[in-house]
Amino acid sequence: MINWLQVLTNSIIWGCMYMLATVGLSLSYGLSRFPNFAHAEYITFGAYMAFLFLVMLNLDIYLAVGLAVSLSAFIGGLSYLLLFKPLKSRGASLVHLMVSSIGLGFLIRHFLMQTFGGGIKSFRIVWPTISIGPIVTTPLLLAILIVALVIAFMLHILLTKTKLGKAIRATADNPELAAASGIDLNKVSLFTWSLGAALAGFSGIFLAMRSSLVPLLGWKVLLQTFAITLLGGIGSFYGVLIASFILGLSENVGVVILTWLGLSADYRSAIAFIILVATLILKPEGLMAVARRRV
Amino acid sequence: MKILEISNLTAGYWRLPVIEDICIDVNDGTVAALLGPNGSGKSTVLKSIMGFTKIFKGSIVYDGIVITGASTTKLARMGISYVPQINNVFRSLTVKENLEVGAYTRKNDLSISEILEVFPELRTLLNNKADSLSGGERQLLAIARALVSNPKLLLLDEPTASLSPKNTAIVLSKIREIKSRGISVLIAEQNVLKTLEISDKAYVLVSGRCITSGSSEEILKNENLGRLYLGLKR
Repeated sequence: MINWLQVLTNSIIWGCMYMLATVGLSLSYGLSRFPNFAHAEYITFGAYMAFLFLVMLNLDIYLAVGLAVSLSAFIGGLSYLLLFKPLKSRGASLVHLMVSSIGLGFLIRHFLMQTFGGGIKSFRIVWPTISIGPIVTTPLLLAILIVALVIAFMLHILLTKTKLGKAIRATADNPELAAASGIDLNKVSLFTWSLGAALAGFSGIFLAMRSSLVPLLGWKVLLQTFAITLLGGIGSFYGVLIASFILGLSENVGVVILTWLGLSADYRSAIAFIILVATLILKPEGLMAVARRRV
Repeated sequence: MKILEISNLTAGYWRLPVIEDICIDVNDGTVAALLGPNGSGKSTVLKSIMGFTKIFKGSIVYDGIVITGASTTKLARMGISYVPQINNVFRSLTVKENLEVGAYTRKNDLSISEILEVFPELRTLLNNKADSLSGGERQLLAIARALVSNPKLLLLDEPTASLSPKNTAIVLSKIREIKSRGISVLIAEQNVLKTLEISDKAYVLVSGRCITSGSSEEILKNENLGRLYLGLKR
């Protein structure tokens, strides 16, 4: 018999993980008007940095995670400053920016492979199971849930209550008018790119702690992050929130159906692809109507 | 005293000049109008002041400081506010948020009630998304957004375009009120007669060149000019 409460719990936790992985991609896409494929590598980078500090250097877990997330933010900011900002200011087209982001992704991935090796790595943490009624979970999965909810709440406050957050939304909505209002577009973009990469790094740490660490860690969820970005509406934070949980639920219910049909659960990746294609065909502007209701 | 002095300005996009040898002065606390048919370069003059075009030749001096080619953000922080003809509000933000973003450069806190004294029409719309406003309301919000930064110079690009006669009258009355508060205005318009009523000086642009300038009375008296270029019937 299927434990639907467990399926729902797993869906929520995967939704949280996807939300952390995707928010940065969606915000930077909305702000800079191109999809950054190197975002997958920010996810991987964060995980490897946490591995370095936690397992190799044996630092305290909070310090290790803090350093890893900070370095992910640094890499995100640096890639904006050294690559995408100069390209954009010289009028690079969408294709040029996309190809550059793919190139940057390769660079980061191969740097990580050269530095840490290409094999599978583990954080060597054994998580005990916790039973809450019919639901079985682990402290890690509960941490993912709590961290994601806290971050979502903080992002909501940032975007709706602070001067910087309103500047981010205004810039995503109408960059020329934002500049004419005195907003420094470069500072806003730098902050958003750094924040997005930090959250991606955070999600990478959780993904790697949950299973294992490989150089393709971020690449494996890139399709999901793009499906969520498009389904939610490019640049829409609330769209990402809703779409993340839709994908989390679809994948987990999908696995149940696949098992029931006698098919491999590996086909779950196809669900993100189906959502992506269906969004592009049926509602290309996404759930939150992209251009008009960004963030 | 001149708040804005444009000398021999040639500007455009990429390698293509759209306006040539433009000379415009705006005196402190006055309204100057840029008149002319569609495609005459009125909007390009305003965009050039705001740093949105490529400047090939000439200079722009604002409040005694050369600002030719300065960044848009810097110009806004120096006290120049700009209301584009289209896309002139943040559509996904509420009316209140639009005003808050408009006040981004303001040192002291924004008093919403202060701006609502000039724009009472927006009072009941504060929590509405700008996207949901009517054309007239949106235009008022665009001007209000530009005003909350306490500018010294306000650039308005066809603020009455596509508005009903009633809304046009409201917008023009707001511009009069703005002038009475000592803010200088440079307005690009096709609504010639109405604009000349509120302007101290006007410049007539045709095919990217300024063919004449003078006080509003002088422009109105020039029958050939009005008939040939400004669509005035006598």
